[in-house]
Amino acid sequence: MKTEDQAWRDLQAHASAQLRAGFADRALRAARGPQDATWRQLNAHAARQLRPGFAERVLRAARAVAEVPSLSSQFALSAATAVLCLAAVIFVQDRSAQLADERNLADWERIVLSARDAQDAPDNDSI
Amino acid sequence: MEPSSTTALADLVRRAQKGDENAQHELIMAYQHRVAGFVYAMTNRSDYVEDLSQQIFIKMVRAVDRLQAPAQFESWLFRLARNTCIDQLRRQKLRRIFLPFGEEHENIPEPAGAVDTEELDALRHALAQLRPQDRALLALVQEGRSHAEIAETLGTTVAAVKARLHRAREHLREHYQPDHEN
Repeated sequence: MKTEDQAWRDLQAHASAQLRAGFADRALRAARGPQDATWRQLNAHAARQLRPGFAERVLRAARAVAEVPSLSSQFALSAATAVLCLAAVIFVQDRSAQLADERNLADWERIVLSARDAQDAPDNDSI
Repeated sequence: MEPSSTTALADLVRRAQKGDENAQHELIMAYQHRVAGFVYAMTNRSDYVEDLSQQIFIKMVRAVDRLQAPAQFESWLFRLARNTCIDQLRRQKLRRIFLPFGEEHENIPEPAGAVDTEELDALRHALAQLRPQDRALLALVQEGRSHAEIAETLGTTVAAVKARLHRAREHLREHYQPDHEN
């Protein structure tokens, strides 16, 4: 046998020794892509992640969620509260301004009266 | 109960729409495994399956009375499932922007062999390489949805669905290497 042929054979033997057992099957599987059985395994694995009593838990949670007020009703309640607070602030502000006006008017009236009294009183120096 | 015919399913849905809890329970029992499979294919996370499936069925219970065509229940349910999964993936992406260090805690890959077989690990690996939209497409096809139903779910044309499906399958095949973990 020629030395060159022997070298080629050695090279092929070395290269094929790098392939792990079942190479042909793996190559075919990769070429075909995942089979239905693999997808079924995936679904089965996922189904095993659901703990027993899943449906009951969902229905309980759905009932609990239904009892929580909706976002729109929460918003409406917040808006109504804000309007009520604003009205209360305006009312208190208006009332206190009115009271202050009344107090000021009374003070002015007192001042005017005492000024008038001072004017009407007879001059002590002239007596 | 496994709704075997469209009429039986439509009756069950009508009862659920009227608030019949037994009917709602039957619907959940009938679809919980399929929805779980869909969620897992979409998110590639075992720890999301129960939580997201629960969210999907709660939405179903709360919104089923607004479903106009009870016969369309299945495609409506899987549209709900797809949107819930996409929302979750978006939220996850946003969280990663604001909490960059959370990523390493959030994206702990399931170790090889944690799920049954080499093929299943390879499928999970291949799905993880695809865009969520493509994963949803393949999962919907596996669910037996027709091209027309998928087009309606995604708000696109049947031709576009076929083209996207072809590309998604090509990508899946490219990344599907049953011995990738080794």
